Amino acid sequence: MIEPVSDKLKPVAQRYARDMIIAALLYSVVVFAGAYATRLELPHWLIIVAAITPLGPALLMLRAYVTFVNAVDEFQRRIQSEAVMIAAGVTGFGTFTYGFLEEWAGFPHLPLIWVLPILIGSWGVALCIIRLRYK
Amino acid sequence: MRNRLKVLRAERNWSQAELADKLDVSRQSVNAIETGKYDPSLPLAFKIAKVFALTIEQIFSDDEVAQAAE
Repeated sequence: MIEPVSDKLKPVAQRYARDMIIAALLYSVVVFAGAYATRLELPHWLIIVAAITPLGPALLMLRAYVTFVNAVDEFQRRIQSEAVMIAAGVTGFGTFTYGFLEEWAGFPHLPLIWVLPILIGSWGVALCIIRLRYK
Repeated sequence: MRNRLKVLRAERNWSQAELADKLDVSRQSVNAIETGKYDPSLPLAFKIAKVFALTIEQIFSDDEVAQAAE
């Protein structure tokens, strides 16, 4: 079982959760609006703008995470760093290998849109494993 | 690196949470240091030494040096 957040981490975690929820809500709104915009007869440049706009809330999420990591103590920062390194490695090498499978072995095409969910998913799994290891 | 954190904490009847509070770190951090799973940075080691009113060498020791002493 994962240990509940300690008192020391609580304010930091609460701020992180708040910032993340706001950014995620904004992200959802922008993505749904963008998806809706593609159904309309809009100029191509406007569709491009709609496709790029989710980057704004995504950067807010990144800022929330960086603020969180900078606010926790050095041990927690180490856990986060390890999780990010593992997630980056798994995603990078995983998608790179899948690229070879696509090119050489005729595997089905994996759209680039899946890279971020794979990164976030592998970060979450890595975080759980690392926390258990340090328990 | 070895440390006497658990013994020193027990001598003062402090819980891990109390020590964590004095050091301004999480309880998990204190636990990781006590169990030797994490070696603190020099600034944190100085902070620990200050909280126990000891020198860093009185709390932490190098593995090889400690083995040689045994």
